[in-house]
Amino acid sequence: MEQELNTLQTLAKDELNAVTDSAQLEDFRIRFLGRKGEFSSIMKGLGKVPKEDKPRLGQLANNIKKELESLFDKKKISLNADSSASGNGSSIDLTLPGRKPETGKLHPVTQIMNEVCAIFESLGFSVAEGPDVEHDHYNFEALNIPAHHPARDMHDTFYVSDSILLRTHTSPMQARIMETQQPPLRVIAPGKVYRCDSDITHTPMFHQVEGFLVDKNVSFADLKGVLTIFTQKMFDKKLELRFRPSFFPFTEPSAEVDIACVMCNGKGCRVCKQTGWLEILGSGMIDPEVFKKVGYNPEVYSGFAFGLGIERIAMLKYGIDDIRLYYENDLRFLSQF
Amino acid sequence: MKFSISWLQEYVDTGDLTPEALAEHLTMLGLEVDSVDPLFPELKNLVTAKVIKVESHPNADKLHLCEVDTGEEVLTIVCGAPNVREGLITAFAPVGTIMPDGTKIKASKVRGIKSFGMLCSERELGLSESHEGIMDLPADIKHGQPLLTALGMDDLVVEVDLTPNRPDCASVIGIAREVSGVTRNPLTRPVENAHLEHSAEYFRVDVENNELCPRYSAKLIKNVTIQQSPWWLRKRLLSVGLRPINNVVDITNFVMMEYGQPLHAFDYDKLAGQQIMVRNPRNNEKSFTTLDGEKRDIDPDMLLICDAEKPVAVAGVMGGLNSEVTSETTDILLESACFNPISIRKTARKLNLGSEASYRFERGVDPGGCLIVLERAAQLLCEIAGGETTVGGADYYGGVRPLNSQTIRISRTAALLGIDLDYNIIADHLTSIGMRCKPKNDDTLWVNPPTFRVDIEREADLVEEVARLVGYNNIPTSLPTVHLSYPDKDPKRELRARISNLLADTGFTEAINYSFVTEKHLDMMQLADDDSRRNQVQLLNPLSEEQSVMRSMQLPGLLENLKRNNNFQKSAVKLFEVGKVFTPQGENEQPVEKDRLTCILSGRRAGEASYLYNDSDAVDIYDAKGTAEMLLETLRLQGCSKDDAVTIRLPENDEAETYSDASQCLILDSAKGIVGQIAKLEESVAKQFGIKQDAYFIDLDFDLLCSLKAADKDFTSLPVFPAINRDIALLVPVSTKAGEILETIKKSKEKFIESSDIFDVFQGKTLEKGMKSIAVSVTYRSPTKTLTEKNVNKSHTKLINLLTSKFDGSLREG
Repeated sequence: MEQELNTLQTLAKDELNAVTDSAQLEDFRIRFLGRKGEFSSIMKGLGKVPKEDKPRLGQLANNIKKELESLFDKKKISLNADSSASGNGSSIDLTLPGRKPETGKLHPVTQIMNEVCAIFESLGFSVAEGPDVEHDHYNFEALNIPAHHPARDMHDTFYVSDSILLRTHTSPMQARIMETQQPPLRVIAPGKVYRCDSDITHTPMFHQVEGFLVDKNVSFADLKGVLTIFTQKMFDKKLELRFRPSFFPFTEPSAEVDIACVMCNGKGCRVCKQTGWLEILGSGMIDPEVFKKVGYNPEVYSGFAFGLGIERIAMLKYGIDDIRLYYENDLRFLSQF
Repeated sequence: MKFSISWLQEYVDTGDLTPEALAEHLTMLGLEVDSVDPLFPELKNLVTAKVIKVESHPNADKLHLCEVDTGEEVLTIVCGAPNVREGLITAFAPVGTIMPDGTKIKASKVRGIKSFGMLCSERELGLSESHEGIMDLPADIKHGQPLLTALGMDDLVVEVDLTPNRPDCASVIGIAREVSGVTRNPLTRPVENAHLEHSAEYFRVDVENNELCPRYSAKLIKNVTIQQSPWWLRKRLLSVGLRPINNVVDITNFVMMEYGQPLHAFDYDKLAGQQIMVRNPRNNEKSFTTLDGEKRDIDPDMLLICDAEKPVAVAGVMGGLNSEVTSETTDILLESACFNPISIRKTARKLNLGSEASYRFERGVDPGGCLIVLERAAQLLCEIAGGETTVGGADYYGGVRPLNSQTIRISRTAALLGIDLDYNIIADHLTSIGMRCKPKNDDTLWVNPPTFRVDIEREADLVEEVARLVGYNNIPTSLPTVHLSYPDKDPKRELRARISNLLADTGFTEAINYSFVTEKHLDMMQLADDDSRRNQVQLLNPLSEEQSVMRSMQLPGLLENLKRNNNFQKSAVKLFEVGKVFTPQGENEQPVEKDRLTCILSGRRAGEASYLYNDSDAVDIYDAKGTAEMLLETLRLQGCSKDDAVTIRLPENDEAETYSDASQCLILDSAKGIVGQIAKLEESVAKQFGIKQDAYFIDLDFDLLCSLKAADKDFTSLPVFPAINRDIALLVPVSTKAGEILETIKKSKEKFIESSDIFDVFQGKTLEKGMKSIAVSVTYRSPTKTLTEKNVNKSHTKLINLLTSKFDGSLREG
């Protein structure tokens, strides 16, 4: 019997090694380990062995059975692992496409607008919106751009009547808000603006965000600080930026903010006109005349204002090269963002 | 403003600054350099060549056969120019050159003889109008060198994008002055000072209006000879894009570019009564013919330069044809004046006549510079045009305001800029750009700006100059110290973001259309003649008819988007837009602006999703309705309390829009009025937009939607006892509305009814004609006990009776 047991042990081990799938494994189990299997039939002979051999043979049989069962379990686990790795041996084809719920997209302009607003809202700015069709007064006069000022040349204006026009920038919100509220103020005003100009780089409607901060002791250095934070958050890296003197009638000193060209990293390319810099923001310290017009005392309060074009930022962030795409609402375009 | 590097260097030594570094400095001073380009890049292939031999062409009388030495080789060239001669140094375009007009020079046979290039006239090179012959270059010019080098045009042109506050930099000397501040090399001007003796010997000047003409100076130059200007002068004008005309006109243009002061030259002999009057038009003066031959309407506000009898120029804008300098002119009356910027701007606008002169007058020219410029031009007229200067002239300066002293406070400047400053730093910077400074008290400086800085009027202007000269990038960065506050959020904005996200997450893509549209949309949408949306805000100066009115509806834009996407093989389209529509009020009043939320749905319901799991069914009205229900439920305006703020119902009377298919249209109603509608787009309207597939839309008054009160979130205890479901299959006339059945169940007072739902609607041959089957599932539940079949039976039977009698139906068997 002892020999029988040893032979079975060797045979069973060899058979188990040869097993390659779960069906063979099941056959193995029935043949060797089942109730009517070979091991059981040998064990039936245990009753016939001499009494003094019983404990030893019983012990041996038990050990062999335990070993075979343990080997069987290991084989089973390894077979399962194989099948889930390759998908073979199963009726589930995991290479088929997933069952995906349909989703749409927000317009890229909205996405950038949301990003811009979120950065300033985190800095404690509130958000205000104003009318698209604006009084000449708010669009120009209140911003220190009287009739016949050459600065009006910078705004190709759509008129509705002598005194009503489509706002050419979101800056009228400066005057509208300061007229009704007292400092300290921290506000951004996003919205649509209009200029009668249309080519590859201009659409007659586009989006801007205006922002301003008014309080006691606000300085040009503060302007630089806030806009540096914004620019670095917006473009996700420690971008080099520079402040460059410019002119806006409603700020003085006025500054354009340039960032190192995101296309060529400042080396010079077609997008940055070989300068290595891209203009992204207009800004400045709010002109005392603007404060006087809304009844703030410029000796007490100071502040800064800035404005930026959303389409331009989207173009830089996403590499869009034709601004007209924004308003054709072609799904092949919109679904990319 | 354009200038060339070599021109700039006549007034200031640029030291070891490269053109790139120069451009960088100017940009950082607020004079943004747009471009730095080589001059005449299209002429870079041309070389100077020497004509060695000239013979007549055997087959053509007017052509010559020339042997030309290009420095590298001797070529045969066929040339038709009358001035070609042996020994002539001229401009040569080798084979392969692309000429300024775009033609390419090829080796080609001319009347049987092969010619290897072209000898060029000035006109062919875009250098002048002269086409009498090929270029006749001075004999001492070496042949075989690049033409641009030979002509001294190996130069770079810099274009500066001037801001409106810096008219003082609209001149080469103005730019040189800024460069001088950078390099600290001195500025040298051809004429630094001038003095004019008053003399009425040849003419007198009267200025009627000081305000409109603060200064008017003039001088007579006699016996000039009108001819082409010398090359150096033409070269300067060409380098900045001005066309040379004749020596007198060229000198006035050159001096304007040099000093920034526009000049005008009158033909003295054409002026009546030896008099210049600066005045507004008389009553009978209604029109005037300008230099360009155009007869122009004169407005009473315009300022004219007149002689004793008639207008001879529109002040600061353009001269008159009647006093123009022509080839017969011998005596020149030269004008150097200052005019009121606003008046010039208005006039230039009205006449639609912008010029280099009006550009400068509109922004303000230096009232202190008139005589210097007059002197410079007079010198050139004598030097180049052979003129003789007369003694004295007129200088009227009744309107020049005395120089204003400004003050600037050191503490204020330091606080505004956020940097440390002292007297010396401020004074040093301001002095470097020609301002005179002296201390007023411990904290204040007196500053006298130079007369050419017409933009410096206040302390703020001086603070800006200090910032500019310190360098913006040398100012530190800091963050403002602010009071903490929690700004209120605009609820409408919040809601818009929420709805936009919801729609985008459920398969809709956001569109943004122009706010201005074509009026034609109204007819395409088949609006009634008296529809209030036909009243639109019109633009006075639209770019095109397609963008001429502010939209009064949002849907047409989305329909155009649908059409466009269909054209590009995207048939499954779900778009939405939240945007403004405009309703005009009175003239000179702002229109009312209201937001609308519009969605369109068309094409396959599953969009681009895999056909493996989705069929190809197209959307229908229930998709549109379902989307609206989803929105309303998310906003808690429907299905969240006993009283829905918005109900969706069938239209009454003519509530369906003209562009809605009346048989597939639903109204969203609220206590505050109709919110909008859901419908299938009327087929005839779809056709107008070129849409060939069924389209559905939701169009809502977003402002009204936002104003409705959302149901509070109110907890209801979870049911403790199980529910019992019972189904009813009703056979009812086909006209029966399922919604009414549900409504009836909801309102019935039968015990234990918790909810009900439609689970099947069927119509077909197996049913009695004119009837349909509606299957309803009713849920019964008690809050206090487990219901038994017996409990429910009573209610259920009564409910069935109610429904069959009310809807004229029967219980369907089987």
